[in-house]
Amino acid sequence: MNAVDLHRRLERNSGWLIFGILFVSAIGGLVQVLPSVLDDSLATPAADAKPYGPVELTGRDIYIRESCGVCHSQQVRPLLAEVRRYGPFSKAGEFAFDRPFLWGSKRTGPDLHRIGGRYSDVWHRLHLLDPRAVVPDSIMPAYPWLGERAADAEGAIQAKMRALRRLGHPYTDAEIDAAPAALEGLTEVDALVAYLQGLGTPGGDAR
Amino acid sequence: MAELPGAFWGGWVLVLTVGSLVGLGWVVFSVYFGSGRDEHEASPVWDGNLQEGAHPAPLWWFWLLFGSLVISVVYLMLYPGLGALGGAFEWSQGGELRERQERYATEFGPTRRLVAEAELETLRADPGLMASAQRVYDRNCATCHGYDARGQADLFPDLRDAEWQWGGDPAQIEQSIRHGRQAVMVGWLPVVGEETVDALTDYVLALADGAPAEHPGAQPYTLYCSACHGPDGAGNPLLGASNLLDDISLYGNSAEAIRHSIAVGREGEMPAFADRLDDTQIRLLVAWLTAR
Ligand code: HEC
Ligand code: HEC
Ligand code: HEC
Repeated sequence: MNAVDLHRRLERNSGWLIFGILFVSAIGGLVQVLPSVLDDSLATPAADAKPYGPVELTGRDIYIRESCGVCHSQQVRPLLAEVRRYGPFSKAGEFAFDRPFLWGSKRTGPDLHRIGGRYSDVWHRLHLLDPRAVVPDSIMPAYPWLGERAADAEGAIQAKMRALRRLGHPYTDAEIDAAPAALEGLTEVDALVAYLQGLGTPGGDAR
Repeated sequence: MAELPGAFWGGWVLVLTVGSLVGLGWVVFSVYFGSGRDEHEASPVWDGNLQEGAHPAPLWWFWLLFGSLVISVVYLMLYPGLGALGGAFEWSQGGELRERQERYATEFGPTRRLVAEAELETLRADPGLMASAQRVYDRNCATCHGYDARGQADLFPDLRDAEWQWGGDPAQIEQSIRHGRQAVMVGWLPVVGEETVDALTDYVLALADGAPAEHPGAQPYTLYCSACHGPDGAGNPLLGASNLLDDISLYGNSAEAIRHSIAVGREGEMPAFADRLDDTQIRLLVAWLTAR
């Protein structure tokens, strides 16, 4: 048997065959996924990225619960048309405190990664409770209940922040202690608007 | 910034990619050219002609796989993919974007500069440019000011009426767009009490038909309001203080709306567009908004 008999040898030895199959299945992950998880260049936060405060964090969870990501992406791609429309393209370091990231893959509505500051809070509130109040032909669903529910009805904010701290978000004890007070009296729509207004503010340097 | 992987992971990617390409080529080669090809094992014959053996797919299949391997190798030599090696073209997504931005600037820059510096009259006379201005408006402003620029929701002002809260000069309109506007009027209920708020509401409603001197609201008006809205109620574009003399009002003409403005206050906010629109787009918008 010589070198060109590799296939024949593999085929007849089930141990080698199993190893070969596993290796071939794993190669994509080993080359693409493993380095991006472990290489620091992707995990380092952008200079001005900061962890979400309690209000923004709550808003973010509402964004996830209401599946806004089904219609809205949060990634401005490095293409001329997108950069001119939305602003600077998104960079890895800006998502260091996004667990999970909300890049999305479909745009029924516009990208939201650079939405912060584009509208006033008043506009966002009107638009979320009833999009047709400001955009007559909008197909975005209305979310009237956001205006009625308390932002942190379950009182889970401290547990969430502690869990994230375990994953490396630098919350201090004082911040965690102060969290419920920050949410007091806010409705869900307040929290969601605060989250939207904070989106995409870092990284505004590279237009 | 995340670009090509560092030294260790670059090497890891390089070794695995090259190794897997070589391994794959080797397996494919051995399927077609190894010994034992077409050799039937000493297995029983079923049904007269059915027997175990190794018989590779037709040869054109081999060329297909071989071709894919060659394309992969050529690709990896030209473009980034082998760890930290950038490829012969030194292509990068950011570089591609920069190149396109430069091409955009050389192709459209001179014309756009002409537009940015043109007289408003000239711009207004060009239907093509006005159509572009309308598109800039639709994309950036219509969600608040309405598709017809007539305002909406009693929160976003009509930009087609004769009244400009912050001034209707092209320079003032440009200022409104470029740097945004933040109107602040505090609520007066805590200061003056229910009764005076009612009197003031009535006074403001009456102002539209000429100020009645003997009105119970006249005195508190002069005391509290005239500093911003002017002694006669004509407003002050430097502060964005509304003109109270006509029946054009941002938050609605009803007694209820006016009472709310006086009692609770108003903080109308127009976002700044200096970072989102360029000089050409802003110039077009000013021309479009001042066209009659
Ligand atoms: C069915 C798809 C759909 C869903 C779900 C949806 N949206 Fe939208 N959204 C749209 C469309 C379409 C528009 C554009 C029209 C408009 O402005 O209403 C839009 C516009 C927006 C805008 C304005 C963006 C801009 O640049 O003008 C914001 C902000 C927004 N959506 C937030 C949200 C949030 C927050 C949620 C979840 C609570 C959500 N959307 C859910 C479809 C959707
Ligand atoms: C500090 C300056 C200031 C003072 C003092 C002030 N206002 Fe105003 N007022 C404003 C500004 C600025 C606005 C515009 C608010 C906006 O656009 O959101 C305004 C808006 C209003 C409006 C709403 C107009 C509309 O178009 O809907 C009314 C009514 C009004 N003021 C009445 C009064 C009365 C009555 C007083 C005295 C008690 C008063 N204001 C005192 C600055 C002032
Ligand atoms: C988030 C909603 C919003 C968007 C988007 C917006 N505006 Fe405004 N704009 C406002 C509000 C609210 C005011 C009134 C501020 C006040 O209360 O004085 C205003 C005021 C103005 C004024 C001053 C009006 C006056 O009477 O002096 C101009 C001019 C203007 N906007 C133009 C634009 C243009 C052009 C765009 C698009 C590039 C735009 N706006 C986008 C909300 C918006």
